[in-house]
Amino acid sequence: MSDGLVKILDGNTFVVSDERGDIEASLTDPTGLFSFDTRFLSRWVLTVDGQRLNPLSVDDLQYFETRFFLVPGTGTVYVDSKLSVIRQRAVGDGFHEELTILNHDEGPVNLTVRVEAGCDFADLFEVKDALKKKGSYSTKVEKKRLTLGYHRKTFGRETVISASEPAKVDANGLTFTVRIKPHGEWTTDLDVVTAVGAGRRYVRPKYERGEKRARPSMDVDLDRWLRDAPKLESDSEQLRHTYHRSLVDLAALRFSPPIAGGKSLPAAGLPWFMTMFGRDSIFTSLQALPFAPKLAATTISTLGDWQGTRSDDFRDEDPGRILHELRYGEMTAFEERPHSPYYGCADATPLYVVLLDEYERWTGDRHLVREYEQEARAALNWIDEYADLMSNGYIWYERRNEKTGLENQCWKDSWDSISYRDGRLPGFPRATCELQGYAYDAKVRGARLARDIWKDDDLADRLEQQAADLKRRFNRDYWVEGGGYFALALDTEGKQVDALSSNNGHLLWSGIVDKSKAKAVAGHLLGPRLFSGWGVRTLAEGEGRYNPIGYHVGTVWPFDNSFIAWGLRRYGFKEEAARIASGILDAAAFFEGRLPEAFGGYDRPVTKYPVQYPTACSPQAWSTGAPLLLLRTMLGLEPHGDHLIVDPALPSDIGRLELLDIPGRWGRIDAFGRGLMELGKPKGSRRRSR
Amino acid sequence: MADATENFFEELSHRGHEPLLEKATGTVRFDLVNGKRSERWLVEIEKGDIAVSRKQASADLVIRSDKALFDRVATGRENAFAALLRGEVDAEGKVQLMMQFQRLFPGPPRRRSR
Repeated sequence: MSDGLVKILDGNTFVVSDERGDIEASLTDPTGLFSFDTRFLSRWVLTVDGQRLNPLSVDDLQYFETRFFLVPGTGTVYVDSKLSVIRQRAVGDGFHEELTILNHDEGPVNLTVRVEAGCDFADLFEVKDALKKKGSYSTKVEKKRLTLGYHRKTFGRETVISASEPAKVDANGLTFTVRIKPHGEWTTDLDVVTAVGAGRRYVRPKYERGEKRARPSMDVDLDRWLRDAPKLESDSEQLRHTYHRSLVDLAALRFSPPIAGGKSLPAAGLPWFMTMFGRDSIFTSLQALPFAPKLAATTISTLGDWQGTRSDDFRDEDPGRILHELRYGEMTAFEERPHSPYYGCADATPLYVVLLDEYERWTGDRHLVREYEQEARAALNWIDEYADLMSNGYIWYERRNEKTGLENQCWKDSWDSISYRDGRLPGFPRATCELQGYAYDAKVRGARLARDIWKDDDLADRLEQQAADLKRRFNRDYWVEGGGYFALALDTEGKQVDALSSNNGHLLWSGIVDKSKAKAVAGHLLGPRLFSGWGVRTLAEGEGRYNPIGYHVGTVWPFDNSFIAWGLRRYGFKEEAARIASGILDAAAFFEGRLPEAFGGYDRPVTKYPVQYPTACSPQAWSTGAPLLLLRTMLGLEPHGDHLIVDPALPSDIGRLELLDIPGRWGRIDAFGRGLMELGKPKGSRRRSR
Repeated sequence: MADATENFFEELSHRGHEPLLEKATGTVRFDLVNGKRSERWLVEIEKGDIAVSRKQASADLVIRSDKALFDRVATGRENAFAALLRGEVDAEGKVQLMMQFQRLFPGPPRRRSR
């Protein structure tokens, strides 16, 4: 991997190590074994006769399994060893490591093999912010087992380390005295089990020591996941590769919170975000709908079950509000952070209704729409009753938790993301433009659900009227006259926060844009100030705060672009959508099919390759979902009643593209397309269903 | 001052039906420890219909906590989920019921309103 770190994961348990398989974490360093937002192992170092090992190669067998091939000795260019060391590691509820040493010599060898172990039990928030611990540590040495513990009042976490072969256990690790015959081998299983304290009892680990694999079922699960997804055939090998990578990464990012009853939804990203995020889970579920619709069902039910029911300033919770982020670590437990869960986001709530409708349009699952009617109504009510902080018919946000709450409660959540053209930052509350688009879409889609499924014509009429009124006001209040685009936000005086940004693409997606204005907006999105050649920049070149490597002020986000492309298609801009799809998919080739969270906004001809944003998470769910949504966009897939419309518009370098067995209310349908689009000459489309 | 826990459960019992629990079915028992005494509440939920009693019975979910802590949860002075993460509240059994039930606890007393 590009950062020299090897990552494997299962749900919200993951291991990040160096290329030797060793872990030597400092407080600020994100390596280790993590589970439920806590580091359960910060030191895990293998030596043979006191020597560190040298990596020959790393095999990423699956996302949950890695094999390290090692030889003794470090720092030399030339390796001539009579020993080979293989560490095969699989993550489950903790991890299982099979350590094998091969003796290639004609004589026997006597070795001292040692595994150093230690743990700081850091909360992920502490790792991010470099904070000090408040509890106390413990160590328990038993015959074949080392238990590392951390306790703070009733909060307890333990790591239990054991081996299948005889070992001398001390407080800092396990030592094996080994004799290996000529051309023989020695092997031991090592198990690292995480234990979450619930008062006096501990939750039992899901696997016991001695099993060959931590979770033999994970292999089967991945096979089934890939088999259930549509098959992609294309002349473009890169596209086939990116598609496969996306499906495998999406499988890895699935996460089963206890509340979801064994079903899974997408977590946000590795390593920091293996947890439930309202916004990320919804966007990723939308992207994956034509490929893995079950993710959306779990997202709808889980976020619905956690929907806010009360007013709580610390958590920025309101009745009807969809959560932003849920965490399980020590700082959340002791309310040093508000993530139990935290509700401070302004877009997940309208997007929840958008997802519910889009899900039904694809799957025909009316049962779920009826089951979550109450939650959808509460979400629609939140828009009018709780989000309209200025009482003028728009969604506004301002945190009530002034210490640890989020200032910017839209997807561009960094401190400087919302600015005027001259770089000034507006005060609070703020009404960013895309939120109004989402609210419009939620009302339009909510009206459909109310009329067709909940059988409430009054509500449907009211929502339709509100949507029409919102659209009319929005196109008047946010339209930058002379600029030909929509302002990023309104400030408290009703003035336009007038920077040109990628948010305009989300407005197309929402449908709030007047047809007469769409052409100008599309022109900006593909124009030189926003379009880098790879994709649309978050903020346009020439704006006061533009910076090609600024997190939300100039970088290109694959997720953002996938929704922009969808928006362009919605308004009939097929070629423009294909240009964005083509640029982002080209970029994916530079990352072996795994798109990062963001990359630099430099002009494509300047750098020739996309420059990854320095601390971006990877894999990240909505980046993983981006190629999927771009495929949908390029093929022009759109449910219409019980049919799937296929209207391809593909760039010529893709050649032939077939997506087979697309699941939905129609059963399974195949979509075919051929890349004929060159220099603005779209042609050719056909479809076949069976 | 009236007993906060008792108020909470009595109020719940009077409601008879709770829309927030319409997707929930099962029994939740609260074992609340008060010094040497232990106080029990059994809540039977059937698609939102609620029956509250002091019956001794096995349940799909057993919540164990300090009585004083639960008094604070019942009045919104303590967050149930954070207390669960701290290990101050223990939940055994069908965890999903815990997540559904926690929606009924009130928010913290408001300092300001909008």
